[in-house]
Amino acid sequence: MFIINCPFCGERDQSEFKAGGEAHIERPKQPTELNDEEWAEYLFMRKNIKGIQFERWNHAHGCRKWFNMLRDTSNDEIKLIYKMGEKSPIE
Amino acid sequence: MLNYQSSIKEEKTYSGLIVKEVVPVMKLNLRGKNREFLSTIGKNINMTLPLEANTSSSSDNYTSMWLSPDEWMIISNYTADKENNNYQIEKLLFSKISKTNLGAVTDVSDQFVMINLKGEKIFDLLSTGCPFNFNEFKKKNGAVTQTLLLQIDVIIHLKEINTVNLFVRRSFSEHLMSWIDDAASRL
Repeated sequence: MFIINCPFCGERDQSEFKAGGEAHIERPKQPTELNDEEWAEYLFMRKNIKGIQFERWNHAHGCRKWFNMLRDTSNDEIKLIYKMGEKSPIE
Repeated sequence: MLNYQSSIKEEKTYSGLIVKEVVPVMKLNLRGKNREFLSTIGKNINMTLPLEANTSSSSDNYTSMWLSPDEWMIISNYTADKENNNYQIEKLLFSKISKTNLGAVTDVSDQFVMINLKGEKIFDLLSTGCPFNFNEFKKKNGAVTQTLLLQIDVIIHLKEINTVNLFVRRSFSEHLMSWIDDAASRL
């Protein structure tokens, strides 16, 4: 259990949120030009690393808004939270 | 309020707590973003929607609650006629907002059950089934929060100190009420 600071509602318990997977995955501009392997790479393959990871989260039981989070998956330490649509501040 | 079935049959009294359902109350869900939407709402209901997170604003007839940056809920401060299913304010807002594509107006009167809790032990009760930290909330008149109570989505509105309105979806209300009955008996 940990506390997440929703950019809209403030600090809330993690149980109010849903994790939405890795963030900043761009849809290919021309999907028809990709072969099956490249398309599968975009569609299914996620980094899922142990360490610092960009993630999307949804405040499902609160304001129902999506936002981005930079989280250390090994100890749940949240490094940064920023709104949807904003570019990742760290490349 | 035509197909109305109450989940709470009577007012219940526990030590330091009174629970009852307030019915029938008009509830409207408003969604919209732009300035025109906000000003149109403001003009038609004679109050401004709260823009600060987790707050509410009140006029003589209505209370509006912040739910999300582009979502509000308006409730009437008075109970409506039981036989009536039409609300003037809904018709008015629907024609000014929904029909002009400024936003969305949805009647949620029957979707939500409004439970009124009164007494100094409200937050002792809510804290037993809720991950939300009520320490600041309970001191702030008009505060609103959406959270989980017993894994059920609820909207909690602090009407005044020691008076809380709890909004829960109708299908969950009976279950929630039986939990309140059980938990409150051991406060």
